[in-house]
Amino acid sequence: MIAAALTIPFVVGLALLFLRTLVSGRTAAWLGAVAMAASLVLFALVWEGKDAISGEVDVEWIDLLGARLHLGATAISWPFLLMTAFIGVLCCVWLIADDTAPALVGLVLIISASSLGVFASLDFLLFFVFFELALIPMWFVIAWWGSSSVEPSAEGDRGGGLKNVPGPDPRLAARSAATRFLLFTVTGSALLLVGIVLVARDNDSLQLTEIRGGPLAAAVLIVLGFAVKTPLVPLHTWLPDAHSKAPTVGSVLLAAVFLKLGTYGLIIASSVLPEGFADVAPYVAGAGVVGIVWSALACYAQDDLKRLIAYSSIGHMGFVALAISTMSPIGIAAAVFGSVAHGVITGLLFFLSGSLKDRFGTASMRAIGRGLYARTPWLAVAFVFAAVASLGLPGLAGFWGELLSLRAAYEVGEVLDKPFAWTAVGFAVLGVALTTAYFVRAIRLLAQGEPVAQDADRDLTVRETVVAVALVASIVVLGLAPGLIVGLYDFSAVTYSGTYTPVAP
Amino acid sequence: MRRSWLYVVLTAALAVAVAVWAVPHLDGDPTTKVWIEGNDLLAVSLATHVDSLSAQVLLLAVGVGLLVQIYSTAYLGHHPRYRSYALVIVLFLLGMIAVVVADDLFVLLIGWEVMGLCSYLLIGHEWQTPIARSGAAKAFLMTRIADLGLLVGILAIGQTYGTYRISEVLAQEPKNSTAIGLLLLVAVVGKSAQFPLHTWLPDAMPGPTPITALIHAATMVAAGVYLVARLLPILEPSELVMTLLAVISAITMLLGALFALVQTDLKRALAWSTVSQLAFMFAALSVGDSDAGTDHLLSHGAFKALLFLGCGCVMHAVGSSALSAMGGLRLRMPVTFWTMTIGFAALAGVIPTVGFFTKDSVLHALEHGRDEGPLPGGIAVAVFCVALVTSFLTAAYATRLWLLAFLAPAAEGRTEPHEAPRAMTGPLIVLAVATFALSIGQPFHLGIGLLSTAVAVAGIGAVLARWRRGRSLDLAAPWLVAELALDRPYSRWIPAGLRSSARAVVDVDRDGIDAYSYGSASTAQVASRVLGLVQSGNVQRYATVIAAGVIVVTAAAVIWT
Repeated sequence: MIAAALTIPFVVGLALLFLRTLVSGRTAAWLGAVAMAASLVLFALVWEGKDAISGEVDVEWIDLLGARLHLGATAISWPFLLMTAFIGVLCCVWLIADDTAPALVGLVLIISASSLGVFASLDFLLFFVFFELALIPMWFVIAWWGSSSVEPSAEGDRGGGLKNVPGPDPRLAARSAATRFLLFTVTGSALLLVGIVLVARDNDSLQLTEIRGGPLAAAVLIVLGFAVKTPLVPLHTWLPDAHSKAPTVGSVLLAAVFLKLGTYGLIIASSVLPEGFADVAPYVAGAGVVGIVWSALACYAQDDLKRLIAYSSIGHMGFVALAISTMSPIGIAAAVFGSVAHGVITGLLFFLSGSLKDRFGTASMRAIGRGLYARTPWLAVAFVFAAVASLGLPGLAGFWGELLSLRAAYEVGEVLDKPFAWTAVGFAVLGVALTTAYFVRAIRLLAQGEPVAQDADRDLTVRETVVAVALVASIVVLGLAPGLIVGLYDFSAVTYSGTYTPVAP
Repeated sequence: MRRSWLYVVLTAALAVAVAVWAVPHLDGDPTTKVWIEGNDLLAVSLATHVDSLSAQVLLLAVGVGLLVQIYSTAYLGHHPRYRSYALVIVLFLLGMIAVVVADDLFVLLIGWEVMGLCSYLLIGHEWQTPIARSGAAKAFLMTRIADLGLLVGILAIGQTYGTYRISEVLAQEPKNSTAIGLLLLVAVVGKSAQFPLHTWLPDAMPGPTPITALIHAATMVAAGVYLVARLLPILEPSELVMTLLAVISAITMLLGALFALVQTDLKRALAWSTVSQLAFMFAALSVGDSDAGTDHLLSHGAFKALLFLGCGCVMHAVGSSALSAMGGLRLRMPVTFWTMTIGFAALAGVIPTVGFFTKDSVLHALEHGRDEGPLPGGIAVAVFCVALVTSFLTAAYATRLWLLAFLAPAAEGRTEPHEAPRAMTGPLIVLAVATFALSIGQPFHLGIGLLSTAVAVAGIGAVLARWRRGRSLDLAAPWLVAELALDRPYSRWIPAGLRSSARAVVDVDRDGIDAYSYGSASTAQVASRVLGLVQSGNVQRYATVIAAGVIVVTAAAVIWT
């Protein structure tokens, strides 16, 4: 069943790429939505309970290396799988429009399917293959369909002459951002691959279910590789560019899915390499909390809405990193919840800023102007809702991830020491306060204020409404019933190495 | 107009449901009920606890909420955004109900912050105006940042007591009181606008007046008092926390009363009065008398809602909340005049209004705080003295506001004001009746009663005497009018610091952190240029290199073998 859930979007995606001249964009998007929905349903049905590996597939692949086509959904990966497929469906729904390029839909499907493959892999090499497979299509999405704002934003980091970006051409700016993204992540992947090789040599196996520990060097390399993807400060500088230059669906996939490849990887690393990860955990936690404060401050100075949301993602991933570094059951629950919640909330934020960019040709808050409450009421309300969810209002999805990771750090766990963990809590709390400040600022600049009508003022269209309602509903459901996800980790005693073996109920 | 009654009906249904739930608990008989059991890891269960206190606060909240909804049909019924306004009020009431009945601390936190959000949305209802935008942002930021104290405090409670259920926490011996108390104090000081986080409340006044009556007088700001009263048994053992609470409340009540005395704006004066009265409640809590504190909460909720709603009627009539635009309204607006007179009397503590009795209880508790209770004796005496001074000032500013609004000569050149419509005066009458009715059954302390009456009479008399002699009631105290510049850190220093550090971060991000990626790019360029020299395409050079290589390899082979 898992194989089918992965194959369907892959096949449909490839077909759309090759037959892109034969279908209209609208048809392609519909096809894509159906394929992703089928995948979503299959992944939902595959679930066999939190104590087992659901829908396990294990066939021979590269015998020489000991690599197998080993797929399955675990308690940790299942929420990621569902979230990814869900976001994939919404991205396709978003693309149901006349000006959609069929090839873009195809790429979106391939990216989603590759990411699903990462989450479903139980073989470290297969994991890596899918991990890389998602990169190249993303380069095309950013480079071909990306754009930059008409006027380069004042705070934009067009800096050194080394960057091959002459300012005026937006296409080149997008291509440079795409290349930057690719170079950063490929470098991270290279470290990751070396780490995987070290682990495989040590354990004589590539199966995540069998790996128990590895050398410290492997842990360092693997964590570094995932840290680029997550991203942890100071490896984050690719992200604001890539997110803000990418087209709407690209930004959504980057934020909601790609960053999760990093956090999921960190969870995996903490679970299969417990000793090695414990040694690096303080650095992960430190980078995480510094990132929370750092990115919140950076957000406060942004004018470009997409850059602002991109920076805010770094902060949210900081909470997840902090949670993972505690290596406690509550930390894992926090990391998974935080990742999924960030996926839906930031997905919504990027969709809405995409709506704004479609209308006004730019995501600059100054150019869009004030008073959206009056000009495009529902769009403004949805934006304020998403902002409030993102700043962690209790009762919405964003809160529980933050709360649980604060709790994980407050309760210290067995890896960090108390003064360090509590300092981290202090920084994280400061970050929450700053997050409130920059979102209040954004609401003030966009939603409130004396409205000055522009020609481009149009409220949400049908497809935008469908996407927004779906995401708002999931944010509310996760916010009111956090047990849906946290309950998956509700073992009275989770042993870390036991995460991949069924835990006795 | 008809569509606005829909929301009144909705609120009324909510109020009736809550009343049916709460009324049986008025005589004590606390009930704890778990609706949904939480799982082990998350430990969030939907549990409620209703006792006499929470039943009373519930009735106050839904009662004032319903009155405010009725009042708003006339006050804002024709506003283009009436629908969102009315719905946010309902959401607010749900948040308040959650705070009051929650037995699980996380449920309490959800309600607590939902209230903060609704307050933000409602203060910013007139978001076209800069003053409403900044007031809303300030209120939200200050309260939410303070709320983080509650969040960490809840984590501390959970780890100390091993449970997040209030009833289970209270059943245990108090532990770790100082740390938990300090964290909760941060949240409470923010939410209830106490010194030094008091400046957001007066700036929240650009919100619609009915909202001020509901959120910023009767319910949300009083939630801090309620929370401390509820958790008093685990906070009381810490002398530090109680002393701090007493000092904060003493400073706040005095400052609030002084600022209220010099305001030229009726609504802002009432806001400062709220700050000061909330401090009264905290003072009672700091000597360990939660009943006195919560009784004053209920009575203040009634008469301050009355005053704010009355203020709304006056604003409706004269189109401004400035005292200079008022005056001469006694005959023009008889219902508003008489009901507000009752409200001012309750504020000043005139017998037999409920304000007299509950203020009396607070003073009584403070007086006894010297000998018993958690405070050091000296502090209790000092707070008692400050409370007496505040009573004097309160009577004085209540009288001043009453005189300037209704009895002063009418402002020149204004159209003749008219009494507010019935939907607005009705709630005033109900609240005025409540201001007397709540007095029934209140404790009475003869000695303190005489003392406080004397103080109140002195305050009223001082202002009246000045008024009789025809002197201005505006005090020439520029420092007080500027509110001692206590707002400056929040309005200037912190935002400026934030802006400059944000800019610094962006610069460092671009020029500092990104340096390694540029650095590696330029290294790669240099390296490629060096390697490019080798691949020059010149066959002679290749041949030379090959020859040199052969020689080196041969030499090496010869040497090593």
